[in-house]
Amino acid sequence: MSIVSRRVILVNGSPKIKSNQSVSELFVNLQENSMKEAGIDVGRINVRDSITLGKTQEDYLEMSQADAIIFTFPLYIFCLPGILMRFLQDYQQFLMKQNLTIEKEQKIFAVVNCGFPEPDINEEAVRVIKSFSRQIGALFGFGVMIGGGGMFLGTIDAPFMKKTKAELYNAFDQMSEMIIKMELSPMENRFIKPNFPRKLYLFAADREWISAAKKNGLKKRDLYRRPYLK
Amino acid sequence: MKALILIDKEYQTDIYEQLHNTIKDYFEQKKFELDEIKIGKEDLAFCMGCFGCWVKKPGECVIDDTMSQINHKFINSDVVICLSPLVFGQFSANIKNALDRWLPNVLPFFITRPDGSTMHPSRYKSYPRQIVIAYAEDIKDEDAELVVDIVKKHRRSMDVIVYKNSQAKLLESLNNIDMMRVGDEL
Ligand SMILES: Cc1cc2nc3c(=O)[nH]c(=O)nc-3n(C[C@H](O)[C@H](O)[C@H](O)COP(=O)(O)O)c2cc1C
Repeated sequence: MSIVSRRVILVNGSPKIKSNQSVSELFVNLQENSMKEAGIDVGRINVRDSITLGKTQEDYLEMSQADAIIFTFPLYIFCLPGILMRFLQDYQQFLMKQNLTIEKEQKIFAVVNCGFPEPDINEEAVRVIKSFSRQIGALFGFGVMIGGGGMFLGTIDAPFMKKTKAELYNAFDQMSEMIIKMELSPMENRFIKPNFPRKLYLFAADREWISAAKKNGLKKRDLYRRPYLK
Repeated sequence: MKALILIDKEYQTDIYEQLHNTIKDYFEQKKFELDEIKIGKEDLAFCMGCFGCWVKKPGECVIDDTMSQINHKFINSDVVICLSPLVFGQFSANIKNALDRWLPNVLPFFITRPDGSTMHPSRYKSYPRQIVIAYAEDIKDEDAELVVDIVKKHRRSMDVIVYKNSQAKLLESLNNIDMMRVGDEL
């Protein structure tokens, strides 16, 4: 049996300037590990870099030729960030203008994380990627919805995150398998959140805002400013 | 009474023209003072996800562009109407850029709403009534349902209308909305 090589493009749609501060980047790293282990050829695209460095056209061409694309991004006001919408809208235009068709039976997956603890609020963002997939003629695989995004950087290797990390790998391994087998039928979405009390997470986050403001020379009450009152 | 209309420069289609005229007439008849902002591809920087609007310059985006003017007008309007192209079931890129950069208008902290969901507390005591009107040449049912879920599932004080060419339906929907400022429940 000959091994057919597959190529996946991992797209990070976080608007953050420094990718090492992006939670999505961490998930993309885990995806890369999973895909490489499965023998899949991996390409990576950072949406902000692609736009600022003016290399969207070559990136779009790469995307159109891939066997699969995974879009990983943060939830912004309950849907996709503006920068990712710009990237996807222009991609659709690119395909139409160049009269290009995407790779046959291309698969698309979505990995969405949010700051609030509840993973299920990412559902609409996953549906947007599904709608996009349908409109460009790709097959949507499934979505991974991650709550408590603010926790992952710096804790991912901590013992209490072991189960969560395993769930992430399990989802990404499932994607790898679907890509290799060119599995056509969609799967159920996954919901993942850190094994951590909700109240404590919110409490810690609130403290974090105050301490960040203090580092910027502000007092707690400054956080409540109302600059636009006439 | 002041109404602010946000418009995407990129999708100036026939259906947009019809919609825009209807909206303008509607609010002019109601004696609103109208203001319009057209947002194009090069007009607004993308949000950088830095949270500077919460912890550096509370209430204002740290990027110096027309967004501060838009947010100022937003807070001081009675009604804000967002005419958004419906793209993949959500707001178009230009409109979404403005919505992302609306974040300074809430506080960073977390609250738990009566239904158990998380939200940020309001920064201001009251807000304009917000109405999203989504339009496109050809709207799939799934996309229409999706934009309604995006707006209605998570927010208590924002309305959404999907415009499918029917002026009568649009007017009926508008007539069902209280055209005045709302409180601080987001
Ligand atoms: C403008 C803006 C809007 C956001 N909207 C939401 C939201 O609606 N719900 C939520 O849970 N988190 C929201 N967040 C938080 C991000 O989803 C969260 O910080 C995420 O972990 C960032 O991922 P990234 O580091 O890959 O960019 C928002 C953040 C920003 C900057």
